[in-house]
Amino acid sequence: MNTQPLASEALSDQSIAADNNDLARGHIRVWDPLVRTFHWALVAAFATAYIVEDDLLGVHVWAGYLVLTLIAVRVVWGFVGTRHARFTDFVRGPRQVLGYLTDAMRLKAKRYLGHNPAGGAMVIALLLLVGATGISGMALYGTQELSGPLAPLMSGLPSYYGEALEEAHEVLANLTLIFIVAHVAGVLFSSFSHGENLIRSMFTGLKPKS
Amino acid sequence: MSKALQIVIVTAGLTVAAPLPAAAANGAAAWVKEYPRSDGSPARSCATCHTADLTKTGKHAKTRKPIEPLAPSVNPQRLTDKKKVAKWLLRNCRWTLGRECTAAEKTAFISYIKSQ
Amino acid sequence: MNLSLRTLSLVTAALLALGMAGLAIGDSDEDDDDDHDERRGGWIKPGKDVQPVSNATYAEECGACHMAYQPGLLPSSAWQQVMSVDALAAHYGDDASLSDGVRLALADYLNANGADQARRSRSRAFSVGGAGTGPLPRITATRYFRNEHDEIPASMVVNNAEVGSFSNCNACHQGAVEGVYNEHQVKIPGFPKWED
Repeated sequence: MNTQPLASEALSDQSIAADNNDLARGHIRVWDPLVRTFHWALVAAFATAYIVEDDLLGVHVWAGYLVLTLIAVRVVWGFVGTRHARFTDFVRGPRQVLGYLTDAMRLKAKRYLGHNPAGGAMVIALLLLVGATGISGMALYGTQELSGPLAPLMSGLPSYYGEALEEAHEVLANLTLIFIVAHVAGVLFSSFSHGENLIRSMFTGLKPKS
Repeated sequence: MSKALQIVIVTAGLTVAAPLPAAAANGAAAWVKEYPRSDGSPARSCATCHTADLTKTGKHAKTRKPIEPLAPSVNPQRLTDKKKVAKWLLRNCRWTLGRECTAAEKTAFISYIKSQ
Repeated sequence: MNLSLRTLSLVTAALLALGMAGLAIGDSDEDDDDDHDERRGGWIKPGKDVQPVSNATYAEECGACHMAYQPGLLPSSAWQQVMSVDALAAHYGDDASLSDGVRLALADYLNANGADQARRSRSRAFSVGGAGTGPLPRITATRYFRNEHDEIPASMVVNNAEVGSFSNCNACHQGAVEGVYNEHQVKIPGFPKWED
């Protein structure tokens, strides 16, 4: 495990609004502001898009653009960001993920400061699903509504492309929602089994040291 | 026929207090007269859209939009707006008869509608 | 502590399973037919797809024989064609002649509010790909319109006594007059609710 402090991490340790009491009481900053902002902005944008659907198409489309922008930023940050934001910190192979899950079922799973292997797998799964939902939506916008950045490429296609993309976009959106439910359940499970509040941590960025 | 002349004719027809009986009778007959089309589409008459009973709601032959009754006895707004009367006589004579109506024909139609 | 922790963990796992099962069953996207109307209709009131008619003269003159088509349903160039003196005298098989003053005023209104200048993407879509090859432009001949209506059989429209033509928007689109053409609000007279 890499113990060299990263420049970006040094900055985040000194970031404003630090809960000095928590830091003194043995909490450590795990999630930097970008990770936290990204997470909750994504929640808001996905929820907006899912709820308004095409009843408010303008709102839906802008929520979708926001989602794709957030994904892009997070992916870049996953390579150059703070320690626990980097993919190298939490992306593990299938054997480790399954190993973690079986340990967790037996309440024997090790506690991780950053994302545990199962959480890491969920990050990747959600990034891919949400990204695919957004891109299929852009393609659908181009072929069915003759609008958006993909319109020049897709507006001349026969209408069965639009029907197929509409189906794909809906399936992906619903699949994403299923994974989100699983994600929330996983977060709750992890919180209870290790005696910590992971949801609060995603707001404050802080976790107990041990 | 100039716009001004149309208005004059319509005004004349509307000003006469009571419907002229002879004109009204002519108008009644002209109302249901059919004008065949050269392109094979169905023949047209005033009744095609307005029906033969002016107290009933009519229907646009193509768009099926309901047309309020023409009879002033059930629809008091009818024949009160000269410009409107002139406009519709111009259009509908052209569409139905294939030409503009003569002054006498317009007076006849107005008298007939007034009597309903 | 261990006992309650185990209980809580099991409860969480059970909730997870229930939640995922519920979503999987509730979502009937396995069928070819898309039931999303039933499932999601009513969460949000549909917004307007096209700017409603805002000119009283236009509403009266151009709504006398058919629904007053919103200007956002055709590009300005198409409206210019429709509003020429000759075109109005031969208006899709009818005579829609107007006095010059009224004609020019309405032409201005249409030009200023055509589909190519619309803010809403569904209105702008009507300006893509032309409006047909006939002597006059037709809303029903635009690419967007044809794509959206290509699955609808003649029995529901042309041969349907209560509809008659695809130009009769408000016969099926319950919100057409207000500019809402959302598929959730389509009710074809004489047929059950349209499932996309």
